Amino acid sequence: MSTDTDSQLLTDVARVLRDALGRDLPGGISLETRFFADLGLASIDAVVLGEALQTHYGRPLPFADLMAEIGTRADRDLTLAALVAFLRRNL
Amino acid sequence: MPFQQVNGLRFHVQQAGAGPDVVLIHGVTGDLSIWFLCKAMVTLAESHRVTAYDLRGHGYTDAPPTHYTSADHTADLFALMDTLGIDRACLVGHSFGAVVALHAASLDPERVSAAVLSDPYFPALRHLEDVSRWGHWQNFRQEASDAGVLLSDEHWYDIGKFFDQVLHLDGDCLLRFRRAVGLPGFERLMRLGQTTCGDDSKAVAGLTADRIADVRQPVLALYGEESPFLATADYLAKHLPDCRRALVPGAKHRGPEENPEAFVKLVGDFLNSLSIQRPANQPSITSAHSLTSTSI
Repeated sequence: MSTDTDSQLLTDVARVLRDALGRDLPGGISLETRFFADLGLASIDAVVLGEALQTHYGRPLPFADLMAEIGTRADRDLTLAALVAFLRRNL
Repeated sequence: MPFQQVNGLRFHVQQAGAGPDVVLIHGVTGDLSIWFLCKAMVTLAESHRVTAYDLRGHGYTDAPPTHYTSADHTADLFALMDTLGIDRACLVGHSFGAVVALHAASLDPERVSAAVLSDPYFPALRHLEDVSRWGHWQNFRQEASDAGVLLSDEHWYDIGKFFDQVLHLDGDCLLRFRRAVGLPGFERLMRLGQTTCGDDSKAVAGLTADRIADVRQPVLALYGEESPFLATADYLAKHLPDCRRALVPGAKHRGPEENPEAFVKLVGDFLNSLSIQRPANQPSITSAHSLTSTSI
């Protein structure tokens, strides 16, 4: 059940990455993909992605909290699994 | 709204919270995400309306080829405040963003109620600093050198020269450099390198030592405990009429990244002290305005 949801959320993220950030993802993405290390995105891209996902879902999401949490991590990175879990928790 | 059209450019803007206005200004080669990562955006929004934006040439804001002095950035800031309906704000700037903040404070005391200056050095006060102490520069120089870009200490502050060198790297060196700084960093540098940002950031642009010393609004000079620019911090505390100095424990030049909790707490305490000290008619600022307007 939750796997279906996760895969739908991952599809949403890929679509928003393409449409809002103009990022093609030729290698595809998975839950293990890292936002910064693998996709080559920067933290400013995460801010814009957050904005675009809120528009996509039509509701505010606590992205500022998620960003602040990334700021405290040693690797300062975010797996798509963590992003999907964040969306699942807050949608 | 994340984008605003101002001065013929599209600016990327983020806002949160409600209350007295605070505007956050990042430094050269940075972007507004610094304020999210250090949690300033969330924390300060508990009691203020917080606005952060990407400077021209940075983040998701357009990058025109010219006009990157602190005076140009100040014109953007005031135009953006007009568009967003911000009559008066406390400005919080990091590094060159703090130069912009003080420039704005100097030009219009009615619109800038106070300023937090996080670790800037000022083009007009460059003589104060022993540049060899700037560990940040030394690290950056090492990274660049590993990637095939040799930077002379003589040009420690010369971002323009650095951009120029990066633009002229050839095949192999370019690849190595790109790998060393990462793709987003590389794209950012390439875009800025094609503008006058590097040279313009070194220009006094009207913010002379006299103008700096004439800023009468409350100012917090917030420096890393091991900042390379502590001589500037001392100068500000000594010469500005209402400037207090505070140090971010354990931080060098990048307090918001190196000790975000202490950084945001010190900024928050300063903002709160303003509302306690000057609840309504702000007498000292009014008089400062009349003094400053005659000197413009």
